[in-house]
Amino acid sequence: MSVIEISNLTKYYGKSRGIEGVNLQVEEGEIFGFIGPNGAGKSTTIRTLLAFIYPTSGNAKIFGMDCFRDSARIKKNIGYIPSEVNYYEDMKVKDLLNYSAKFYKKDCSGRIAELSEVFELDMNKRIDALSYGNKKKVAIIQALLHEPKLLILDEPTGGLDPLMQNKFFDILREENRKGVTIFFSSHILSEVQKLCDRVAIIKDGRILKVEEIEKLRSNKYKKIKVEFRNGDSIEDFNLPNIVNASMKNRVAEFLYGGQINEMIRKLSQYEIENLWIEEPSLEEIFMHYYEKEVR
Amino acid sequence: MVLYLRELARNRKSFIIWTIALLLSDVLMMFFFPTVYDQSKSFNEILRQFPEALASALKLNVLNFGDVLNYFAYVFQYIILFSGIFAMMFGAGALSREEDEKTVEFLMAKPVTRNYIVSAKLLAVLTYLVLFNIIMAAGNFIAFEAVKKESYSVNLLLTVIAGNFLAQVTFAATGFLISVFVVKSKSVLSVSLGVVLGTYFLSIAAGISDKLENLKYLTPFEYVSPAVLVTDGRIEVVYLIIMVCVILLSTALTYSFYNRKNITA
Repeated sequence: MSVIEISNLTKYYGKSRGIEGVNLQVEEGEIFGFIGPNGAGKSTTIRTLLAFIYPTSGNAKIFGMDCFRDSARIKKNIGYIPSEVNYYEDMKVKDLLNYSAKFYKKDCSGRIAELSEVFELDMNKRIDALSYGNKKKVAIIQALLHEPKLLILDEPTGGLDPLMQNKFFDILREENRKGVTIFFSSHILSEVQKLCDRVAIIKDGRILKVEEIEKLRSNKYKKIKVEFRNGDSIEDFNLPNIVNASMKNRVAEFLYGGQINEMIRKLSQYEIENLWIEEPSLEEIFMHYYEKEVR
Repeated sequence: MVLYLRELARNRKSFIIWTIALLLSDVLMMFFFPTVYDQSKSFNEILRQFPEALASALKLNVLNFGDVLNYFAYVFQYIILFSGIFAMMFGAGALSREEDEKTVEFLMAKPVTRNYIVSAKLLAVLTYLVLFNIIMAAGNFIAFEAVKKESYSVNLLLTVIAGNFLAQVTFAATGFLISVFVVKSKSVLSVSLGVVLGTYFLSIAAGISDKLENLKYLTPFEYVSPAVLVTDGRIEVVYLIIMVCVILLSTALTYSFYNRKNITA
């Protein structure tokens, strides 16, 4: 069964574009990555799913129910972590969590205690005295305390130190094992790769690609920069899997998606002044997809 | 219920401050009544010599300072202005504050409908307005009993308070409607003050000149003017109808617009 079903969802803010014709299906029990640069439409999609905003056209369903008509019913089983955490400043951490729990009409105290233990969160601190990372922890606990069936996470790791990030991912995996579906939005490819089964890439309001993470991993691109000693050019390389190539002075830059051994064999045939092999930035991978799309 | 209780708790402090401030000014002024009473003859004399336009604008022409209700009506003209501001700010702040402080995302991610949010907040504001007027009625009753020289009509006192309550609900309902569109706390404050002070000056303007008399239909301060109420003993039907219509219409529109609003905080 599809937990999230988005069809032809379009949202314009006046004349400016939010998202355009987004189609997505997230299946029960999967961890679905939603990745794209800032301003691509990730938050717009999520805000529409949660009925904070209404679409210009198209529709969306969660648990088979209409996201807008049945929003309140759907939300009984949703946990949401916003990208920017803002809470009531007059509350202490425990006040906020208890307040949040009251909306679900079940006893969440055990869960709150357990999670605050894991994240080492001081329950008696006032919210406005918390650091950004600690506020994020409150948001995480708040999203998990009622044991939702679907987690919608909008760039949830911002502000968490690596240790906490790992704990957070462990908890997500554990929830997932219990059958919880996770919709994970991020602009950091590596964290999506670590966690997700499938990933959708969004840019300029459109879904470019939905791919299994295994595939994305296997055609892993490297960013290679070569400074030739003589007047050679990568035009002569004649290798497949080279994209986004550019040549400036004697320096060639490109993304390479093939076997690294082949590349090294090739490179050894040239006189080379300097060589860099790096992880491509997300933006560069996007550009790759983007260009394919245009062609 | 969760949100209703939360709203009460969140506004408790500011409710207490407003209520104490207004009650104290009201009651303290009432305790001057014995002094005023002793000199009421010369007081009234002086007032008669005020330019007529000014006297009628400030409702001084109908008031007799030798009478405790009349004196109260004079005092309460100023109280009613501030209780209007208080009501408007509570009304306009309820929905907009969540958006201004960006807590609305938290709230709307909970299993609640937008109707529930509006209803809970309306009820919480209404609760505080009822409470405020009960306290004002009780406080004034005690003050009246302490300073009265002759017997007076408790009903007229209650009519003035009821008028205040109706004007407050009118302002609060208008505030709710405005706050669907104006969410920044600074703008909310200036719009609230603007509306209440604006209508207050309209009521003064309506009293100054016959040409401006029709302005009285635009201002709640005219509908429930304490000086008129203690003289006539009741709120005019046409004014009652206007207030009820404004309240119902504002409330209905608030629900309707808020349900369709894009929350982009």
